[in-house]
Amino acid sequence: MRGYLLRRLPSALLVLIAASFVIFAILRLVPGDPATTLAGPDADAATVAAIRDRLGLDAPLLSQYVHWIGSLLTGDLGPSYAIGGRTADLIGDGLGATAELTAAALLFVIVLGTAFGVLGATSRSRWVRTAVRVTTTAALAVPPFVSGVLLVLLFAVVLGVLPPGGRVAFLSAPDLAAQYLVLPALCLALPSAAVLGRYLKDGIERGLAEDYIRTATAAGIAPRRLLWRHTLPNALPPVVTLLGMQVGNLLGGAVLVEAIFAWPGLGQLAEQGLQRRDYPVVQDLLLLLVAVFVLVQLLTDLVYAWLDPRIRWE
Amino acid sequence: MTELYPLTPPGPSRRSTLRAAGGSTLLLGLGLAGCRSAVSDASSAPKGASAAPKRGGVLNLAVNADFAPALLFAQSGQSLQHRLIYNTLTRYDDRLSPKPELATSWTYAKDGRSITLRLRDDVTFHNGRTFTADDVIFAVKNLQNPVRAAQLRSTAAAVTGFEKRGDHELVLKLAHPVNNLFDLFEFMIITDSETVEDAVTGKKLIGTGPFKLKKWSPGSGLSLTRNDTYWQPGRPYLDGVEVRVIPQADALISSLRSGQSQLSFDVPGKSLGVVKGDPHLAIKNYDTGAGAVYLGVNTTVAPLNDRTVRQALAWAIDRDRLLAQTLGGYGLASAAPWPKSSPAFTEAHRTHYTHNPGKARQLLKSAGHTRLELPLLHLALPGDTAIAESIQYDLKQVGVHVTLQPTDGATAQKKLISQGMPALWTMGHGFAQVQPSTLAVSAYPFNEAKNTSKYRSAEYTKVVQEAWTEPETNAAAANALHEKISSILLDEAFLIDLVVRGQVQVTADRVHGVALNKFSYLNLDNAYLV
Repeated sequence: MRGYLLRRLPSALLVLIAASFVIFAILRLVPGDPATTLAGPDADAATVAAIRDRLGLDAPLLSQYVHWIGSLLTGDLGPSYAIGGRTADLIGDGLGATAELTAAALLFVIVLGTAFGVLGATSRSRWVRTAVRVTTTAALAVPPFVSGVLLVLLFAVVLGVLPPGGRVAFLSAPDLAAQYLVLPALCLALPSAAVLGRYLKDGIERGLAEDYIRTATAAGIAPRRLLWRHTLPNALPPVVTLLGMQVGNLLGGAVLVEAIFAWPGLGQLAEQGLQRRDYPVVQDLLLLLVAVFVLVQLLTDLVYAWLDPRIRWE
Repeated sequence: MTELYPLTPPGPSRRSTLRAAGGSTLLLGLGLAGCRSAVSDASSAPKGASAAPKRGGVLNLAVNADFAPALLFAQSGQSLQHRLIYNTLTRYDDRLSPKPELATSWTYAKDGRSITLRLRDDVTFHNGRTFTADDVIFAVKNLQNPVRAAQLRSTAAAVTGFEKRGDHELVLKLAHPVNNLFDLFEFMIITDSETVEDAVTGKKLIGTGPFKLKKWSPGSGLSLTRNDTYWQPGRPYLDGVEVRVIPQADALISSLRSGQSQLSFDVPGKSLGVVKGDPHLAIKNYDTGAGAVYLGVNTTVAPLNDRTVRQALAWAIDRDRLLAQTLGGYGLASAAPWPKSSPAFTEAHRTHYTHNPGKARQLLKSAGHTRLELPLLHLALPGDTAIAESIQYDLKQVGVHVTLQPTDGATAQKKLISQGMPALWTMGHGFAQVQPSTLAVSAYPFNEAKNTSKYRSAEYTKVVQEAWTEPETNAAAANALHEKISSILLDEAFLIDLVVRGQVQVTADRVHGVALNKFSYLNLDNAYLV
């Protein structure tokens, strides 16, 4: 296994190095730079030049690149050019907020998806099954930027029971933080919960038609035990695979939901960084995302290799 | 009742479903009852509130963009918090007459080449240090530094000498008279010199203002707490201010309507209809406006190098429709840059160009054109796109076919500063709300020496310089020069003003005593919640 890992590492590093070149170059190719952003629309050329000099933007590109890679290797990402604060702090805070939102949404996906699947497949009431079908169809059809606004209108403006946006750090006030989290997490979770619920419903329905269920029923096993101990576990594997794929969707969707609910996560940070041409923030953020992707690929390869020894010897 | 499977009805029964639902509701209810409500927590008011000013409570201010510490000394869209943390030397009243703040009185020399300032002696910074004349000297020198990107740098640079007379009296010596020195004093925040580098990274913001910075959370906003040693006795009334960043317009409005926020200046004009219908929210429109929307013209691109063609464009645009459709009617349709509060404002200048497509076509014809094709750059934001489309429609009616070039902010700014704009562009400008000469010396699109339109004229340069260096005491002469500047701007039409944007404040009915200075610094010294 160690040999396999060593063989895979160089290509992963190569991808990271290539990505760093591309990210660095693309940002410089886009017109506008942090100096013009900081100088403002009414600035003169001397002001822009002074700011460029202070930020080191008039140094040769190679030198700027080396400086950036050096900051990554030493772990000191330096200050943000245009947003303010330390780049590492900005990315760390954003990452924490996005992870919190995604985790809460995942919880909603599991709870709601299971409820949709079980009720849709097993309820004896036609009305309940129809309600589940309509709800999942609506959750799939309505995009988050619409459902988000509707949720805010209902729960924040009309009922006034939940805040319409913003974030309170979980560790500082968990009770308040949970209330700020409910609406964005629900908005983010709804489409994925609907997908999960539909897959689960199909799985349960197929399971219930199996011979062993008939036998178990004849043997007098209680219906509830039949569902939760025998049918549901057999319907779960494909759903779990799907859930894994939905995590990616949730992370992507979080960017949009963050804007609707003023959630200060990575999506907002990336948008702000790009708007202000904050090179350190955008570069480090993009490279971090590439690194996460490379790491996931590497782990996947390792799991495959662990499962199938032939791959290790290829 | 329908049987799904003849052999097994394993689904939850109605009883168990109801039991589960009831249990969940009970748990949720108990959970919520046992903890604080985020909604009431966000809209706290002082206990025993009445209509009279009362101390206490935290005001939540909703903004659409985060505080940008790097722009602390520049005029930017994120200047609201400046007057909460810092003070300025003076403040203008509604007639641009300066009133004391940290400077208690002032005397101009007869030749206009120096001014003596007497300063308060009872002011301390948030870190306990005493405010002295040295802090004013530092503030002026700080703005002279190009890296601070202060738009009033040219005025700060006119201060060439300092003479301290004790700790609380100071003479500023000027290279030449300037008539916008009090614009500088209104704009220039007094910061603690020892921590200024920490201020521009957002680490420490130490001022003498009514509130101290508790925390800045990038992307979320600022938490400010009351400065108990503020120099104004009994002020501020509020215990604190929470500045919340809500970039999305609908979310910002929801925040106001739900009571989570009680004050905002960032509700788009088109959305104010929703706010108007809410009995708990009040709208106030400031006469100073929030900058102007203009159509920029590159005077080196044929046929726009012909003044007649530029004037035709100015006649072609329906400013009233643009104001109504893109800004919700909040603002002032105007051919001149000045808001109503400006000493240079006249109704004749405002209506110098009205919507007259016939006249526009006639002027184009007289210049030898019946059909033109030109590019128009605009910011790729919803509001700016709507403005560009409105201009495109109007120009098409007179035979000028415009191709829109949506561009992001940083790119547009680079083109603006580097004179790289195409034939036409539309953006916004500030600085018309203060002394008129400031516009021509500090706003790049109007700069007589170098501007985006590449317009140069000896007459314009002469008038601008005269207006800027006219001693502030000679109001009649200054007004005559402002009149000349307006005339040149209107006749030459290298920058065609369209609409002065409304500076619109939305407050919950519980909020009183909110004020703005001329650079949109929020003043909450006298604000209170009821």
